[in-house]
Amino acid sequence: MEIRLKNLTKVFPGNPKKGIPDTIAVNKMDITVPDGKLMGLLGPSGCGKSTTLYMIAGLLEPTDGEIWFGDEDVTELEPEKRGIGLVFQNYALYPHMTVYKNVAFPLTNLFLEERATTPDEAKRALIKRDYAVKFAKAKEELKALEQAGNKAGCEEKKAEIIALKGQQELDIKDAVIPQNDSQGNPVMKRRHLTKDEIDKIVRETARIVQIEPFLERKPNQLSGGQQQRVAIARALVKKPKVLLLDEPLSNLDARLRLQTREEIRRIQQSTGITTVFVTHDQEEAMSISDEIVVMKLGLEQQRGVPQEVYNNPVNEFVANFLGTPPVNLFKGQIKGNKIYIGDEMVREITEKNVPDQECSVGIRPEGIVIDEKGSFSFHVDRILTMGRDIMLVANHPFAKSNTKFVVDSFVKVSVGDVKASVKPHKCFAFSLNEGKTRII
Amino acid sequence: MTPETTTVNNSQTTKKANPIKAFFKRLFTPKERIGADAGEKNNWKAWLYLAPSLILLAVFTFYPLINTIVIAFLKNYDYTSQVSEGFTMDNFGVVLGLVGKTGGSDIVYKWQCIYNSVTKTWSYVSGAGSVQVYFQTDVINYALPNTLIITFVTVPVSIIVSLLISIGLNSIKAFKKLFQTIFFVPYVTNAIAVGMVFAVLFDYQGIINFIFNLGAAPWVDQAAPTWKAMIALCIYIVWHSLPFKILIFLSGLQNIDKQYYDAAKIDCAGKWKTMMNVTVPLLSPQILYIMITSFIASFKEYTSVVGLIGMPSTDGGGTKNMYTVVYYIYDQIKGNVGYGAAAAVLLFIIIMIFTAVQFQVSKKRVYY
Repeated sequence: MEIRLKNLTKVFPGNPKKGIPDTIAVNKMDITVPDGKLMGLLGPSGCGKSTTLYMIAGLLEPTDGEIWFGDEDVTELEPEKRGIGLVFQNYALYPHMTVYKNVAFPLTNLFLEERATTPDEAKRALIKRDYAVKFAKAKEELKALEQAGNKAGCEEKKAEIIALKGQQELDIKDAVIPQNDSQGNPVMKRRHLTKDEIDKIVRETARIVQIEPFLERKPNQLSGGQQQRVAIARALVKKPKVLLLDEPLSNLDARLRLQTREEIRRIQQSTGITTVFVTHDQEEAMSISDEIVVMKLGLEQQRGVPQEVYNNPVNEFVANFLGTPPVNLFKGQIKGNKIYIGDEMVREITEKNVPDQECSVGIRPEGIVIDEKGSFSFHVDRILTMGRDIMLVANHPFAKSNTKFVVDSFVKVSVGDVKASVKPHKCFAFSLNEGKTRII
Repeated sequence: MTPETTTVNNSQTTKKANPIKAFFKRLFTPKERIGADAGEKNNWKAWLYLAPSLILLAVFTFYPLINTIVIAFLKNYDYTSQVSEGFTMDNFGVVLGLVGKTGGSDIVYKWQCIYNSVTKTWSYVSGAGSVQVYFQTDVINYALPNTLIITFVTVPVSIIVSLLISIGLNSIKAFKKLFQTIFFVPYVTNAIAVGMVFAVLFDYQGIINFIFNLGAAPWVDQAAPTWKAMIALCIYIVWHSLPFKILIFLSGLQNIDKQYYDAAKIDCAGKWKTMMNVTVPLLSPQILYIMITSFIASFKEYTSVVGLIGMPSTDGGGTKNMYTVVYYIYDQIKGNVGYGAAAAVLLFIIIMIFTAVQFQVSKKRVYY
């Protein structure tokens, strides 16, 4: 199921008497989430990503715009009729229900539409007669076995008779005539799922998210990661067309976060449900999303495949928001198609001709190579060992913020002035205009 | 002080300690402080701070409580002279209608008597001949059944009604505060005054008869049959007990995380199902609290009868057909205090059993 947001806007009214202005939480969002894909909505807190999600869920009413699920306009539809699964930020598991009941709860509310039938008595009588013959034969065989003293054979035969009885019941159940009304149209009837049907689905879903051992526990007896999987199970159990996740990993510790985000990806791919995922953690979004949307103050900044957005940010905000540690920003200028920070040339622009101008220069932390002959120099204050690599906390006269670089752990660096060369594709120039759009 | 001297001191005190003294010392020392010097030194301060309430409790609660139990076992206790004729179990027998009196003051047990179904009297046949025996049946015939009816009608009804009202109040937006105030007004009005208003409403010329066009049907006066008077009484008790329950339920409802309702919406639960599966279980601590307190309160129901009817009898006035247990106890002040005390002890036991049962049931049903 494809999700399309058309011109979606949400304004939270302020209070003009007290001088509180209206808050535009979401401003004219146009997004299409392709069928079966995982879309990450990414932005700092207060950027309207959760509002967007709640509007898709139907818990918030949009001020303007439309929401389409496939060919259906669901803008005005009640949340319960949208067929969505939603995982809340703090999971909102019902604390008084066991895990099993939590997962089963959506199913108890569902209706199943099926053809109304009446029992076919003639056919049932025939089935009973057939089975009576079979039973008689089986019992005779059993008697013969008993007389022969074959104990193992007896047990086998008894099991066979029990199986036969079960089969008979099933066959009798199936002997029905579909009902038609006077015009000959099939009569449909709505019914709740039976306990057995619910049990089957719950256990199947529990297997997918691996919560089978905890089914009889209460949510407060589970760890954060287990609760999160229960919340996902509850969202998945009614086979929704759309799965919405509201910062589902924010309550987990670092290791569990890594593990569960892979699990979300696995579950999403195995079920093929169109998923929208809200997070403020760029790493989380980039690692599991098919496509990400970066938002700021209710406005969409950039949309695309995660790596593409990371490599080619459209503006300073996106460049700064994606990546840990964030991009290092410097005051600089473009002169003769070369990017300078102070007097130091950091990148030669070969792709196109850019007019000379003041600009802001962004260098990704991983964008330098320690090099005696390099043109870029900075002062290393501290060296932090990260294991796989080391982080240089540096200081540069033209830096706009803290400067941090990441280099391989085998590179020999010491505190003091260091020279380096800059990788051209990790170095961006942003204009100084309002949007701080990227020049190169 | 060096560590060595401390150990010496400790060993000396333990040697000297008198076991009884040590017991009281332990009793008056908080558990976590046993063995700690600071606790033992400053403990009298805590008792000093507690003294005002302890003295009041001792005078007005513990002493009467124990004294009541003692009186219940005393024969013909006279509370002005505080004289009795010794220990007896007969007070309980009299209250329960198992012990009767002959014309004199002889005490006869029910199983020694013969029932005459024609004259509907009990008689005792001894060597001297047959004498008629009188049994007190007010408690067994009226007070206890009435109290049980009041309890098992008004408590569930008032809990359900107040739950519905508080859910309604919680969901409205306009005039919320106003409605909350209106629904709380009965709580601050006097039970007797409200009872008198209800007596006027249920008068044979009253507005209830007028609205439902019942003619001059008697409800609460001498001509009213017991069941009609009970209906009026139960309506009055329910009405008067609503506000406190609404208050408690409202505060409980406001503490329920709104996200559960969002989750229920996503889970396609209808309004009724959301209430039964989300609201009520999450409100269960408040419901338990209300249930226990109002069960106890309605076992002790008495003022409502006084306020509404003014006396314990309707239905011709011949019998005490509107007795409640506490009304019976109150009336014994004029007669034999021992009977009142015995009835009070019985009521205490009944209430204790019911409360224990409720706690047992709640273990499974209440989610904290």
